[in-house]
Amino acid sequence: MSGETSAAVATGSGDLGAPLYVAWQLTNECNLACLHCIEESGPGKAFRDELGAPETLRIVDQLAAQGVPYLSLSGGEPMVHPAFFELVERVCAAGIELKIETNGHFLEPANCERLQRLGVKAVQVSLDGASRETYNRMRVRGDFDRAVGGIRALAAAGVPIEINYSPTRFNAHEIGAAIDLAAELGAYSFYTGRTMYTGNAVKTWRAIVPQEEQYASFFAVLRAKSTEYRGRMRVYFHELGLLEELRYRLRHPAALLIVLPNGLVKLINALPFVCGDLRKESLEEVWARFQRAWHDPRVTQFVEDLAGDPRKTAALHQWVYLQ
Amino acid sequence: MKLSKYTKFRAEKFGAVLFETRSEKVFTLNPTAAAVVSEIGSGADERGVIERLKSRFEDQDGAIERQAIEFIAELRQKGLIED
Repeated sequence: MSGETSAAVATGSGDLGAPLYVAWQLTNECNLACLHCIEESGPGKAFRDELGAPETLRIVDQLAAQGVPYLSLSGGEPMVHPAFFELVERVCAAGIELKIETNGHFLEPANCERLQRLGVKAVQVSLDGASRETYNRMRVRGDFDRAVGGIRALAAAGVPIEINYSPTRFNAHEIGAAIDLAAELGAYSFYTGRTMYTGNAVKTWRAIVPQEEQYASFFAVLRAKSTEYRGRMRVYFHELGLLEELRYRLRHPAALLIVLPNGLVKLINALPFVCGDLRKESLEEVWARFQRAWHDPRVTQFVEDLAGDPRKTAALHQWVYLQ
Repeated sequence: MKLSKYTKFRAEKFGAVLFETRSEKVFTLNPTAAAVVSEIGSGADERGVIERLKSRFEDQDGAIERQAIEFIAELRQKGLIED
């Protein structure tokens, strides 16, 4: 009677009437300037043409009307968006499950209590280290204690917590301690994978990229911790390299739209292709374009070219419009 | 009986999907399974759901009842529904 498609909403997206998951980068503005940021976000980095509050609310109404069950808000830092709470309220009232992906620096107790009252499904906090030294080195302008304090405030308010961890040369060794810390803080999920060569990471790559032997130890610890925490906290990690992941996606596109701060819609974060514009087109139209775009030969070619030149990901922010 | 807190249901041309948003797992449902979940969504208890399905699908040989019982057990085991 049923079939489990499993993990990361990878289903035969062509069979579906609408996306199952929308990942919305609400703004490119961020209070931090992280060395590894894949979005080139940072202070003063908001796009000039970002969507205003009325446009964002109109998109939420379309998501609700089309029955999209799940939305994540990220950035940049989504909590610096002027309409952030208004948007959260509209999303939750529409019955859409909402996850917020944040650096945790605006999680004061009052904000956490408000998120709990509004009914967010989870808040995912980036915590790339188990110590002040590594975290603060990687998250320029960031403060480990403030992020941890924010997570504690989430726990106190009763908001479900997820932790995200990006490995680099100088924090990969802390993965085990970071997982233990996440569990102690009350997280129910922990996510990590290989750091991507794009965004700010292109400029800092030589300083941050873990060596392969570091990755080997990193994933060995993850496998052990995944077993250790089974039944208490889910430890998710992607060992696949980007090329393998994209080849898989060519065959099995996820039912997932990536919405940029200006309303443009990308096929997937790790490709430069834009398949629609929610400022000008309806969600229905963009979804139809999304289906067709995965069959565009330029998409397949880009993925295959990555095999010869993995550094092509440096250009992911030079968008290619698929008509 | 009802869908668990983080499970979302959406009707599709082929039947329906169930999306468990905590694990981000998707379950595709054929039309009969979709009908079962749709009845669960109406708030009936297990017996009530089965009776309504038997009537709706004119279940003369008991096949629908057997499938529905098995499917409801599977949904319960996967944490997609709760009592």
